[in-house]
Amino acid sequence: MTRSLFPTQEIGSLAKPRWQIQGQRSEPLDEPAREELRSWDARVGFATELPALRDALLDGRPRDASPDAVRDLGALFGLRFLETTGLDRVYDGEARRIEMYEYPIRQMHGFRFGGHVRSFDSKYYLKAAVTSEVRLDHPYHVEEFDYVKRHAHAEPKLPITGPYTLADWSYNEHYLALQPGWKGRSARRAAQHEFVVDLARRAVRPTLSALIDAGCRVIQIDEPSAGTHPDEAAIVVDGFNAATEGLDAEFTMHICYSNYADLLPTLLEAKRCRQWAWEFANRDSAGHDGYAVLKALVEYGDTRDVGLGVADVHRDTVESPEVVAERVRRAAKYLGDPSRIWVNPDCGLRTRSLSVARAKLESVVQGAALARADFENPRR
Amino acid sequence: MIVRTGLTGAFPRSEALVSATRDLDRGRTTVDAVEELYVRTETEVLGLEHRLGFDEGTAGYLRWPDLFRPFAETWEGFTVGPLTRWLETNTFYRQPILLAPPGRTPGAIAARLPAPLRAAPEASRVLLPGPYSFAVMLENRSGETEPALIHRLGRLLGDEVRELRGLGFSTFLFSEPQLVVRPPEGPRAEAVVAGYRAVQSALNGGTSIVWTYGADARPGFPLLDRLPVSVVGVDLAETEVDQLPVGPSRIGLGLGVVDSRTTLEEDPAEVARVVREAQSRRHANTVWLGPGGPLDLLPWEPATRKLHVLPAVRQALTERSP
Repeated sequence: MTRSLFPTQEIGSLAKPRWQIQGQRSEPLDEPAREELRSWDARVGFATELPALRDALLDGRPRDASPDAVRDLGALFGLRFLETTGLDRVYDGEARRIEMYEYPIRQMHGFRFGGHVRSFDSKYYLKAAVTSEVRLDHPYHVEEFDYVKRHAHAEPKLPITGPYTLADWSYNEHYLALQPGWKGRSARRAAQHEFVVDLARRAVRPTLSALIDAGCRVIQIDEPSAGTHPDEAAIVVDGFNAATEGLDAEFTMHICYSNYADLLPTLLEAKRCRQWAWEFANRDSAGHDGYAVLKALVEYGDTRDVGLGVADVHRDTVESPEVVAERVRRAAKYLGDPSRIWVNPDCGLRTRSLSVARAKLESVVQGAALARADFENPRR
Repeated sequence: MIVRTGLTGAFPRSEALVSATRDLDRGRTTVDAVEELYVRTETEVLGLEHRLGFDEGTAGYLRWPDLFRPFAETWEGFTVGPLTRWLETNTFYRQPILLAPPGRTPGAIAARLPAPLRAAPEASRVLLPGPYSFAVMLENRSGETEPALIHRLGRLLGDEVRELRGLGFSTFLFSEPQLVVRPPEGPRAEAVVAGYRAVQSALNGGTSIVWTYGADARPGFPLLDRLPVSVVGVDLAETEVDQLPVGPSRIGLGLGVVDSRTTLEEDPAEVARVVREAQSRRHANTVWLGPGGPLDLLPWEPATRKLHVLPAVRQALTERSP
């Protein structure tokens, strides 16, 4: 497929609309939720595709709006929300997912949830321990993808949590117990390697295979943990390679809030990764060039595409199209090849309001267009 | 061999406390109800520590949101900053931002110690941030150089120790992951020694424990062996025992033998073997055993279960001792 310069893509989740949360609980929508549904329908045109369901929600008839139907409508909203910004690659804003760890783990055998761990202050998360060999109950995300495929106008791209992150966010009991003697640093490293590769082979790869059979062509493997232990970059790579072995799709790897230089050059051994989708905008401020690390890819001779984070997902301030275009031009200069760049937000936008997320995505698309025009009609 | 045991960091909140604090955030319960549960749970942790035969109790430090918050919220010169990753984990702390040279607020930290400790200070272990980790994990906008700040924080913590000694506390554990994660050199290393000298001068016969974790301690040993403290602890999940320096040390030997990164329970016989090896390398008469670092990386139930290895190891070691 021939693409124009600087195609655009989404990266992850959107905030759940109020109407979806209330609707899924079979609660009658309150007025702010009704207004939210009406106004976004007017802007992106999704509920008009399912008028009976829309009317049931707006008229306060939850019995005529099953949770499953509301979930479908949430996915359709996410899809149209992203498509109507003009993005080239989209998904559904992960409308059916609550988070990216517990759901995949619950589709597997071999794990036990043992209680809550504090993330910070009074925020906690459930963390499972792997207590026996990992086994997949059934491939996940397939029905979700099928819905997107049937309704998408733009090219769909599915995000899925990678094996290294799933392992890093779990306690390793089973594989550590298999290590002889004292469970020190080297034993822990060896056990983690076995765990990650087992997860990749026995759970993630069969899921990816099922998704590809369902028609999924572009898959983003999310490894937000990749930078947590920089000395485990080889395990990240082995997990990625095991998960994608023998599979034919366009795989990308999303990493964020990490020191990428610490992971290089080991990370470049991820054989079937076609694109590095990384966060950059968050670190591009106050005299610090967030994109300079791209020079390291060139120094190592890596020629893969780069998903360029140009919008910070942790700030409400919306980057102007001009700022986005400047970031794209700067990255193109560092890479020496503009055709390698995809333009996207740093990460999922779920922590921003829908209005801010929308404005940031519109800016991403407009900024990419500005940069494109510059390259196609260079000023003399 | 004399074996002493105890917690070396915060203990996790119980599932009931998790629910209650979440409910409080959502306006579904009252401050008084949560306070009552805190007191009950602190008493429960202290009871567990007593049953396990620990030499001092901590009551878990369940209310402290992170190691630095009580200081960032009460000492002069600080404000509470953004969420920041805690070492190589998926937990976070709010980074203290230092806007001016710091100053302590008398009584503020004592007031934030777990209530059951204040009732029995002589049997308690006070957990505090170490001056070096505090200095390098905050954002320093005060204009003070890092060595000067490390030294100043050491002096302030010394003043804190002096005040707490006056209230009857005698055992102080300083949490110092950064001494092994980013071992200081040159003027920073000298500032660490000077900082602990200030603490030592305030101890008045008390015990000071520096507890390291989060990385292999080997690069930190030259400095650790110079610290003017009673005990230095090393996390044996990070430092291989056969890499510990050989030879007698004038500082007591602390060993982290319970790993807070896995729910897998340690084998007491294997732990005892490793402790004996460490003791023979360092020629220590007394070893201080505890978790490698704060146990609040685990949920309540596995953390409680894993602590039972400590009395089992103590028994194994003392039975075999001549």
